[in-house]
Amino acid sequence: MFTIDTRSRMPIYEQLTEKLKELIIREVMKEDEQLPSVRSLAQQLTINPNTIQKAYRELEREGYIYSIPGKGSFVSPVKNAINKERVEMLKKELERIVGEILYLGVPKDEVIKLIETIEEPERGKSNDQG
Amino acid sequence: MIRAKGVLKKFGRHEAVKNVDLHVKKGSIYGLLGSNGAGKTTLLKLVSGILKADSGKAEIEGVSIFENPDVKKRVLFIPDQPAFFHQTSLKYMANFYKAVYSQWNETRFRQLYEHFALDPHAKLSRMSKGMQRQAAFILTLSAMPDALVLDEPFDGLDPVVRQQIKNILIQDVSTRGMALLVSSHNLREMEDFCDAVGVMHQGRLLYERDLEELKTDISKLQAAFKKMPDESFLTGMNVLHYEQRGRVLTCIVRGTEEEIDRHVRLYEPALYDVLPLTLEEIFTYEMGSVGYEIRNLIV
Repeated sequence: MFTIDTRSRMPIYEQLTEKLKELIIREVMKEDEQLPSVRSLAQQLTINPNTIQKAYRELEREGYIYSIPGKGSFVSPVKNAINKERVEMLKKELERIVGEILYLGVPKDEVIKLIETIEEPERGKSNDQG
Repeated sequence: MIRAKGVLKKFGRHEAVKNVDLHVKKGSIYGLLGSNGAGKTTLLKLVSGILKADSGKAEIEGVSIFENPDVKKRVLFIPDQPAFFHQTSLKYMANFYKAVYSQWNETRFRQLYEHFALDPHAKLSRMSKGMQRQAAFILTLSAMPDALVLDEPFDGLDPVVRQQIKNILIQDVSTRGMALLVSSHNLREMEDFCDAVGVMHQGRLLYERDLEELKTDISKLQAAFKKMPDESFLTGMNVLHYEQRGRVLTCIVRGTEEEIDRHVRLYEPALYDVLPLTLEEIFTYEMGSVGYEIRNLIV
């Protein structure tokens, strides 16, 4: 389910949180689904259990998962907070890309025209506006 | 769980360990790093009750360990050169361990030597360095220690065995809450394994930190400028080290990513990147700040 790149500069707990977020955002892990226990994941991946604990704590703080003492961690049903963060992230990304395009000398109205040609994808039943 | 309070150890006039405070929590893996001759092995021997501190205390759960069999039963140490009795086999050593360590687990012992395919009746002295080390791990892990101290533990083990041993250690840490103290020079390996690190140099513990914290408050910044910024660019940050090649600056900076980001943006770099540091880089730069740096010797 997870692969950890031990050669990456990114700290392992960050890799773990990113991977789990992706799985949750893409709904590979569904609402109220239980996450693997810290112990089993530590054993499976040969990763320090405290690192995994830390990743879970971070995800809980950000609202992606919730935990029930004695039972484990589960995927949060609330999607709004998650989407809001994702939208923020994408906006920043867009800002960076547009900045670079403008820097390379593409006129602003051309960029705006380009954006206007992008069709809004058909959306599911979700009502998640950030 | 494992704690040293101001321990000092002298060999003759040489102070090998100078007033070191160290703490390894239950269920935690602590990596002890340091330059050669920094006093790591001496410190490990002090906290596992092999050496007596000249002053200060070495304790396990608040109880002094030196010459205290009740405590020593629960604490095991694997030295950098595993030692066995002369002319003995794994089975013979196991009987000895069983008599000394009351938490000995025979089922686990059998499981382990079968898994690593070691003949329990073969003479240990005839085994290779790596196999002797495996034997030491088998004995130690079967004694079910509550605290384990390892000196350069993975030295001489092949990658497959290494990974398996680590995996067993992690299981013991996560299910039994074993406290693990490991010294190593293999920083790459320690980075994935430990949750806390301490760095020693010339008998002192320079610092002791949570590994993730350590990694988040020091970063590598690479920035390229069309027009070089003035001095305030560097003085406005906590720079440990910097290097300039043409109009590209590479700095090692202390501070959170957001802080650095905010500062750098003010100077309008053409390109810039903030990267997390590897443990090896942290080690090198931190040691450099106490005068132990890489100077290439031209011969």
